[in-house]
Amino acid sequence: MTVHASIHADLDPIEAEIIRFGLLAIPKQIEVNITRTAYSPLVYEYKDYAVGITDAEGRLVADSQGGIPLFVANALGVAVRDGLKVHGKDGIAAGDVIISNHAGTLGQHLNNVVMYTPIHAQGELVGFMAVLVHWVDIGGITIGSCAPVGTSEIYQEGIQFRSVKLMAAGRRVDDMYRMIECNTRFPVMLMGDLESQLAGCLLGRDLATALFEKYGVPKLRAAIEAMWTRSEKIARAAVAAMPDGEYRASSFLDNDGLETDKNVPIEVIVRVCGEDMTVDFSGIADQLRGSINSGREGGAVTAARIAFKYLATPHEPADEGAFRPLRVEIPDGKFLSASAEAPMAMYSTPLPTVIDTVMRAMVQAAPDRLAAGHHSNFGIHSVVGSDRRTGERFFNLTSGQGGWGASKGFDGPGPYKTMSHGDTFDVPVEVQEALYPMRVESFGLRPDSGGAGEFRGGLGTQKELLILDDCELQLNFERTQCTPWGVLGGSDGAPPSANVDVGETKGQRILKGNVAVKAGDRLHMRMSGGGGFGPARQRDAATVLRDVRQGYVSKEAARARYGVVITDQATLDASATDALRGTMT
Amino acid sequence: MALLIAADTGGTFTDLAAYDTATRRVTFSKSLTTYGNLVDGVMDCVRKTELDLGDAEILKFGTTLVINTYVQRSGARTALVATRGFRDILELRRGNRPIPFDVRYKPDAPLVDRDLRLEVTERMGADGAAVTSLDEADVEKIAQVLRDEKVEAVAVSLLNAYVNDAHERRAVEMLRNLLPGVYVTSGTELSPEWYEYERTSTAAANAYVGPRLHTYIDRLDMAVRERGFAKKMFLMASNGGVFSVERARQQPVMLVESGPVGGCIGAGVYARELGVKKAVAFDMGGTTAKCALLDDGQFEVKSPYYVGGTTQGFPVRGGVLDIVEIGTGGGSIAYADPHGRLCVGPRSAGSTPGPACYGLGGNEPTMTDANLILGRIGRNSFLGGTMSLNVKAAEDAMARLAATVGIKGPQSLERMALGVLTLGTLAMAQAIRQITVERGLDPREFLLVAFGGGGPLHSVEIASELGIPEILIPPEPGVFAAVGMILADARIDRTQTFLRALDAEAAMAMKAMFARMEEEMRHALNADLPAAKLSFERRAEMRFRGQRHTLLTPLGEAENIAEIAGAFEASYRRRFGRFDEKAPIEFVGLSLTAFAAMGRPPLGDLCQTGQSGAIPATTTRKVYFADGGWNETEVYQRATLPRGFKASGPAVIEEFGSSTVIGPKHSFAIGEIGEIRVHLGNESERS
Repeated sequence: MTVHASIHADLDPIEAEIIRFGLLAIPKQIEVNITRTAYSPLVYEYKDYAVGITDAEGRLVADSQGGIPLFVANALGVAVRDGLKVHGKDGIAAGDVIISNHAGTLGQHLNNVVMYTPIHAQGELVGFMAVLVHWVDIGGITIGSCAPVGTSEIYQEGIQFRSVKLMAAGRRVDDMYRMIECNTRFPVMLMGDLESQLAGCLLGRDLATALFEKYGVPKLRAAIEAMWTRSEKIARAAVAAMPDGEYRASSFLDNDGLETDKNVPIEVIVRVCGEDMTVDFSGIADQLRGSINSGREGGAVTAARIAFKYLATPHEPADEGAFRPLRVEIPDGKFLSASAEAPMAMYSTPLPTVIDTVMRAMVQAAPDRLAAGHHSNFGIHSVVGSDRRTGERFFNLTSGQGGWGASKGFDGPGPYKTMSHGDTFDVPVEVQEALYPMRVESFGLRPDSGGAGEFRGGLGTQKELLILDDCELQLNFERTQCTPWGVLGGSDGAPPSANVDVGETKGQRILKGNVAVKAGDRLHMRMSGGGGFGPARQRDAATVLRDVRQGYVSKEAARARYGVVITDQATLDASATDALRGTMT
Repeated sequence: MALLIAADTGGTFTDLAAYDTATRRVTFSKSLTTYGNLVDGVMDCVRKTELDLGDAEILKFGTTLVINTYVQRSGARTALVATRGFRDILELRRGNRPIPFDVRYKPDAPLVDRDLRLEVTERMGADGAAVTSLDEADVEKIAQVLRDEKVEAVAVSLLNAYVNDAHERRAVEMLRNLLPGVYVTSGTELSPEWYEYERTSTAAANAYVGPRLHTYIDRLDMAVRERGFAKKMFLMASNGGVFSVERARQQPVMLVESGPVGGCIGAGVYARELGVKKAVAFDMGGTTAKCALLDDGQFEVKSPYYVGGTTQGFPVRGGVLDIVEIGTGGGSIAYADPHGRLCVGPRSAGSTPGPACYGLGGNEPTMTDANLILGRIGRNSFLGGTMSLNVKAAEDAMARLAATVGIKGPQSLERMALGVLTLGTLAMAQAIRQITVERGLDPREFLLVAFGGGGPLHSVEIASELGIPEILIPPEPGVFAAVGMILADARIDRTQTFLRALDAEAAMAMKAMFARMEEEMRHALNADLPAAKLSFERRAEMRFRGQRHTLLTPLGEAENIAEIAGAFEASYRRRFGRFDEKAPIEFVGLSLTAFAAMGRPPLGDLCQTGQSGAIPATTTRKVYFADGGWNETEVYQRATLPRGFKASGPAVIEEFGSSTVIGPKHSFAIGEIGEIRVHLGNESERS
């Protein structure tokens, strides 16, 4: 501690802010470049990437804010630390660029590839510039490598790279490029993304080097220490504000994609003690046969950290210090701490539910701030195939938008994607129709889907899709049984559904899997609404009337769920409402 | 005699600038903005100048009406007509959450409530063939509903209308006939590009302000006609050109950033006059700072632009000058956040209570207080001496902050004040980095043109941070928006979706499409300004096949494949530093800008300077600089400095509404057209 104190004493508080400003600006600048030059919609619309700077030991210094939350403060440093273990500090030279998607390290699907390069300043290794990008396809049994069903081992899901060099001392390792190129179904798209990822790494490294050189390594180190200390303090203060105790919640997934009649239980215990929080996943299901497993770092730690951000420090940038008050407990062999051989193609499917279950536990501790359950469902309905005219493969990845939970004084927002998503943009209907053999027949809000409550859950969406030529639908819908929960007397959101008309067979319920479709076939899908907050009979009747006039809630639901009677002239029948509400308990 | 007059209605003040072509004199006036009826403030300015509008050749107006209508949600009762199955486009947006970890994130509500979003049976395919024809009986039914609902404005935006607008045009035509007196607008009239949400949002925004802008124009027109004005009136559009009244009535959404662009246009005109092709226009006022990039003589236009910001707001298309705005201004408050970190802005003391030194009850230190403490602003020369400042109040506020963040020891007050300025400077420099470094441009190759009340005050530190070697301060930086408007030409932008691989056939088609667009725009501009000289600029949205994002590529005269590819390569290399020579290239859109030159005063006439050869009178005061601390510093009055005058820093040049502060290692000169040129010493290369 005295060492730190003396380092800090040299650092003017203003200079510390100036350096912090400079460090945070680097990932921001790099992510702008990456999204502008990427080839794959997974990067430029879905934002399936992360950009960050770590110190020489792989501890996170600064992280981009625009990528999806799934990678917050974890994957980059984990990859760097494995690289240091594999190569040793002396085995990593200036100008080396290393990649890893190793399941045993990252514990996520193999599409997530971390690339990093060392930052040297004033003659020493001071850190790493790291960029994670979801590679569009790395082989395996299905287009895009993320099979909702069908894999039982990681080896069926694509190729693995464990801390291998893409560049050595500034020179491209051509062997690696050839190997990557012939292990993907989309070589043009992937090699384009890889160039954009590489350019981001190298430019970020140069910017970081310049900053270290400008202020000197000792001052930078002191400023980074100060950032971590401060982040830790902020996080600790947030935890300290929560009442001590042990909080439990449970939920479950429909299934693991393989054993469709077996639910996957998720039991969470959160212990708050002073400034420390423990998230205990000991009660969750064991490693599964289906592909929704993840490793300890990629699963349990990631989910706990995201939940922690939502709970404790939503507006602070993530760094090494930010998670120091958080402990994650999970024995090996659970589906969030699976072995390196477990199938993980759809590792992300359970994460929104796991995160939301942690939040559910904490609603008891902080009912004024936290929300009811959100839809937690990726609702993937991608159209994949080959263009009839050019023979070129296409992959139109699309996920659904559902309602989010209501909270005190606040109707649920949305429709958005899940808590694992962030600034993820939907591809416009006009663009999809111009590029892929499909037509969207309707796409809109789903009335009555928001859980009733004093504050109503956000609405889900409904969509009808007409197929115009031979192709395949990739579907992944979850949480039809454990619907988005209401809290403190609020009701659940309506469950999701996906039905396919194939040829003469109409309305087949298919939630997960790949379906071969032809011209004239249709998909009807509905995404759930969010849970409600507080008893519905306490919702202001005028607000219910407005909901009915706007078509968010039907007249029938207003009466049945809220006890509000609306006349045929769309006005409030106050006395009938009072009478009806009097009978509700 | 003929007058060229421009008036800019800003948040606090309405400014007017008038140039008399006979006497070659420029006059300024200033009034408080009158929120009840914006026209009153404008006419107050006219009265103050005692000018006869009968002599006016051109009148140009900038107005905050459109942006305020959005911000205050005070627009018309507006309906949307959408393709059956798609009325929720406005509410679904793109499904994104710009704030990642907030369970309560919610954007601003759509401009049109759901009960006024109606659907019409029709469907256009992505190939431009009708899948379901327009049900005209449906349109009639909708008209009846809108009449019953007493709707004032209607936006029509149908799916895939960007490829074939037949249904949309017919629906608009019918509604205009069926609903006399109702403002009807369509998506493709404003933006014939794909992306249904952005196009629909633009149409809704246009309808929402249409009736309000009509009223404003009618009042303005009546007021100026009453005072004898007999010529054509123009309004400043967000694309940096002026619109005729008729065009403004059709596209009010294009006036969303009507005010702020004036200064940038002025900066561009000065830079071009002086042969400078690369400049950064930097405008700092009381609550925000803005910057825009002039590259190769032109400002970029950005589309879409988010009204209300990217996190909360909605997009509009059609071109807003690409201005990056941040919450750092003279009134920005410096404070320690709950975790003890020093922050400057975006919280602002505004004009009430204002900075601590105003003595109006503000007790938190601001950028202005820091400037006063360090002697950079004179206590008795603020706003030409019309407002005296309370140094003690500023010092007390700053001392409290120093104690909170732990700045101790000798000169702690000065170091604290300097720290506040440094952090403010960094934030502003970062905004400039965003428009330069993030686009692959080196700021050291740019000239900084600084204006607004705070621009000249902070420009040297900002330039120094970025390694910019030279600064230009135009005349009247405090009312430069109005000056810029006088100098603005008429401008129209048009973008058309054009999704094709780059091959010989596409190059031919491109030429034909540009010719068609040019003809259309020539016709439009000739109607507004019959005798004006027209010029055109062609650009294309291009990318490598397989990429999503496009790069707006200036085409110049490029016509064949090699020339077009060459233009793309040059732009791509500049932006991203690399280029794949083997990757196939494609067009996504074509964009044409048309300019019509308008009468413009010689720039030298806009600046009052001292008698040639005269030795200007100076005073001195102590000013604190980062290098060297307190320094006895010469204080000049700008109007007394003759052209060609040179001096080295430290120096302060004062004028009404602004001061230019020049550190010890720098020097300045008065240029040929009266501009201040600051030359930075070598100290900027301190790495």
